[in-house]
Amino acid sequence: MPRVECLRTRVRFPPPPNLISKSLINELSGWKKRITFLAGFFLFFSLFSLSQGQPSSKAQDISKPKNSFSQSIKTIVIDPGHGGLEPGAKGRFGTLEKNISLAISLKLKYIIERNLALLVILTREEDVDVSLENRAAKANNNKADLFISVHVNSSFRREARGSETFFLSMEATDEEARRLAYMENNPAELEKGISGENQDEIKMILWDMAQTAYLNQSSILAESIQNELNSLFLTRNRGIKQAPFKVLCGVACPAVLVEVAFLSDPDEERMLRSEDFQSRIAQAVYKGLENYIAQSSEEGKR
Amino acid sequence: MSGKRLLILGGFLIFLVILVIVFFRSGVEERIKSSPEALPAQPEPSAPKLEKTIKVVLFFLSEDDALLHREEREIASDSSIVNQAKQAIEELIKGSKKGLISPLPPETKLRELYLTPGGVAYVDFSEDIIQKNLSGSSAEISTIYSVVNSLAYNFNTIKKVFILVEGRERETLGGHINLSRPFLPLYDLVAD
Repeated sequence: MPRVECLRTRVRFPPPPNLISKSLINELSGWKKRITFLAGFFLFFSLFSLSQGQPSSKAQDISKPKNSFSQSIKTIVIDPGHGGLEPGAKGRFGTLEKNISLAISLKLKYIIERNLALLVILTREEDVDVSLENRAAKANNNKADLFISVHVNSSFRREARGSETFFLSMEATDEEARRLAYMENNPAELEKGISGENQDEIKMILWDMAQTAYLNQSSILAESIQNELNSLFLTRNRGIKQAPFKVLCGVACPAVLVEVAFLSDPDEERMLRSEDFQSRIAQAVYKGLENYIAQSSEEGKR
Repeated sequence: MSGKRLLILGGFLIFLVILVIVFFRSGVEERIKSSPEALPAQPEPSAPKLEKTIKVVLFFLSEDDALLHREEREIASDSSIVNQAKQAIEELIKGSKKGLISPLPPETKLRELYLTPGGVAYVDFSEDIIQKNLSGSSAEISTIYSVVNSLAYNFNTIKKVFILVEGRERETLGGHINLSRPFLPLYDLVAD
């Protein structure tokens, strides 16, 4: 019997004509995707190497802390969500997301600095407006190795409680694929330094693609943090989630967005206002981070 | 005498056949995608109505499981895809009839809906879609994907959905989800 099955798998009939054309089309579109993806990579790294030629930012000149964990992770950028004129979610008792996200971020920074010899940079340290693109830019300009955006959730559901950790989901559109194909065919335009609108457009594409290279590591980091938050909230694992978050798009390192709890839930709002609970959340995120770093350094040793 | 007459008759017949073919073929592209589980296997013979209707499936948020749930609506079928899509969104704004949560505020207005030949639907909402107190990620995700899924699920020609507010492209609704790209439907958010 096994022989027969083996034979059966060997025998291949030529597919009927309409199937040929379909598979050919599938394959062609597959190649198109692969080529555009490669082109995107090439474009991104060429721009990256260009920017490296420029004078380095101050953050790089700070004496590099010795890291007992891993040599690869040196700088962490924490992004307190919202700020300034943009308050984010609002609780029933008037608690604002921007204030809670900043308070937790500052505590997280303190815990990381106390425990690990890492450079921690915040995208904002006070109640000010920072555009989503500038938050990603701050991470990239400081050569961040990890990016953690801290947010507080709200939902239409009264029952919504607990933490959620997101990483980016993204699919290039056909339009972008065409644009990238064009750039691939006209590489000289990149080096010439295109002025005005075109340059902005290219930058936009590169920004939008930055995170795609790190999705796998981002998912591991998200899982590691979510595990700790689940044990803090005593919730069953809802699993990490993917969504096209604007702030994560342009970040060129593993990046996650943590929704620590729900301001739309009155109980959680009350808890979020207490310093003690903020510290416990920061501690949980830190533990997740620590586990991720330990995990990645172990993989590095192998 | 019969030769000339036969020629005219034959010509007329061919013309008729072409007319019939055109009549039936033209509907093929605009056919609504029907899902086996959402629609009954055999449409029940109902009382004849003046207006022809089709069933569309809308997606509303459930309090119980944080997922989007299906809810059927009948809309007028004898109009273009764009008009049918507009009707579907209007129904979505009106809210659920089964006690599910509508992630679009009832005061939201659908300003316009365009469909590109490439299958991207541009849906233009009034500013009312932005809820000041509820700008959390979960709320944003429910709002966006109730619209995107409700369009992409029902209309084969709509592959992606681009959300505009007051006729303009916005970065996000409330600081989270990127609106500067068209969305593909996300059925992970839908209950089985």
